[in-house]
Amino acid sequence: MMRVLECKACGQRSFYDKSQCLDCGNDEFLCENPGTGQVISVSTVHVTPEGVREPNRLGLASFPGDANIIAQIGDSVSSGDDVVLKGGHELRDGRDGIVQGARLLPADG
Amino acid sequence: MVYTDTDSESTAEFQSCNVNPSITGVGMTTFAKSDDRSLQELLRIASERALTGSEIDPKKVDSIHVGNMAAKAFNSRAGVANALASTVGTKGIAHRVENTSASGASAFLDGYDAVRSGRSETALVVGGEKMSAVDTETSTEVISRITHKQEYNQGITLPSFAGLAANRYLDKYDACRRDLAEVAVKNHANALANPYAHFNKQIHIDDVVASPVVASPLRLYDCCPVSDGAAAIILTANDKDGSIQVTACEGAIGTHAVADRSDLLRIESVRTAGKRAYTCAQISPSDIDLACIHDAFSILEWIELEELGFADSGKAWELTRKGRTDIGGDLPVNPGGGLKARGHPLGATGISQIIEIVWQLRGDLPDERTVTDPQCGLAVNVAGFGNNAICTILEAV
Repeated sequence: MMRVLECKACGQRSFYDKSQCLDCGNDEFLCENPGTGQVISVSTVHVTPEGVREPNRLGLASFPGDANIIAQIGDSVSSGDDVVLKGGHELRDGRDGIVQGARLLPADG
Repeated sequence: MVYTDTDSESTAEFQSCNVNPSITGVGMTTFAKSDDRSLQELLRIASERALTGSEIDPKKVDSIHVGNMAAKAFNSRAGVANALASTVGTKGIAHRVENTSASGASAFLDGYDAVRSGRSETALVVGGEKMSAVDTETSTEVISRITHKQEYNQGITLPSFAGLAANRYLDKYDACRRDLAEVAVKNHANALANPYAHFNKQIHIDDVVASPVVASPLRLYDCCPVSDGAAAIILTANDKDGSIQVTACEGAIGTHAVADRSDLLRIESVRTAGKRAYTCAQISPSDIDLACIHDAFSILEWIELEELGFADSGKAWELTRKGRTDIGGDLPVNPGGGLKARGHPLGATGISQIIEIVWQLRGDLPDERTVTDPQCGLAVNVAGFGNNAICTILEAV
């Protein structure tokens, strides 16, 4: 399960590592379950870097606490769908070796 | 639209910018898919053209500011600024400025600050990139590595961000796919009479919507090309009659991870850099007669026009549909073809945007691509998908 960072001071959430909260500057975070998000936009990318699947379907999803993420999505995911992040997927196999991580998949899947 | 600056911090910080460097010479190479000359040669040629145009002895150049993103990765080359100084024959200081696709405007900002501070009486700003030295796979890899590590791991590239943004924009607002294609058609038309442009090819909306998909809904003709080229400008503290003054050059940063933004259709770095530049130049968007916008992807022209106050959110597409951003419209945008058709040799792009404004303000261009009687122009050069932006305003004096 992928985790989301939650600022201890203001509650702002983010999926991206940072040393300070972008909103209040606090430097202490909790690691929380992101819960269920909703897909805001989708793009199917046909020109991909070495070691990345082609086409690479990507989705922008918004999770509770205004935490947004762009991640690979499953073939059946569309804009407006409810999704969760599930780890253990091979995201790329390029010059840095195999990278595994989370994809956005249907919440009811 | 009336622009209102509610950012008191920027007002206080930037209202005292009152020493305006002048641009006394410009020079470019023709942007191209592949130029046989080396990066060093391209930089030298652009520099010498700018020096010749300004009638300045190279020995009087106090500083050289070279914009370049990836000479090491593309050309196995370091020390490009030092090599250029030796070739051109200047005795002052020299260094390279790297800010990904905004390296050119960042180098310009560096030279602008050097002249304003008194460190340099005359500065040579030159940017260039030779991207054809590597294959497409390698250049895609080099450019994709500017993204946040977590986004890179997902295989995300810059066209990916643009595809997601375009899909969101078309879904949220009333613009249609053909309106977006019209941005590319307009910019290609503008480049037809530009001898320095990568493309001199007229395209039509049907060509755009039938071209191969890159990142849906964006297709090949929605995306700028990979280019070789260089561009140079001479900045001086000396006022000359008939010169072009730089009344603002301001930058701002945005989040590194694009998804960390509250709205994919907002580019805070562009908005903030624009606010700071308007404040410094003591003008508003309604005073701008032409704009060179960083249209690496067609959707960026709309988003940046909105962030810069030329249209309300979700309304820039109407400017395109009504022809207001055409060369004969009331806000000509990218009259030289933009990144889309003039080309995008990363380190040269920001400087080539400023050169286009210089040519327009001087009235140096053929009638078919001349904006009517411009007095003030704006350029915005963007790093990554808005990680950083530099906004420059020029005025004819």
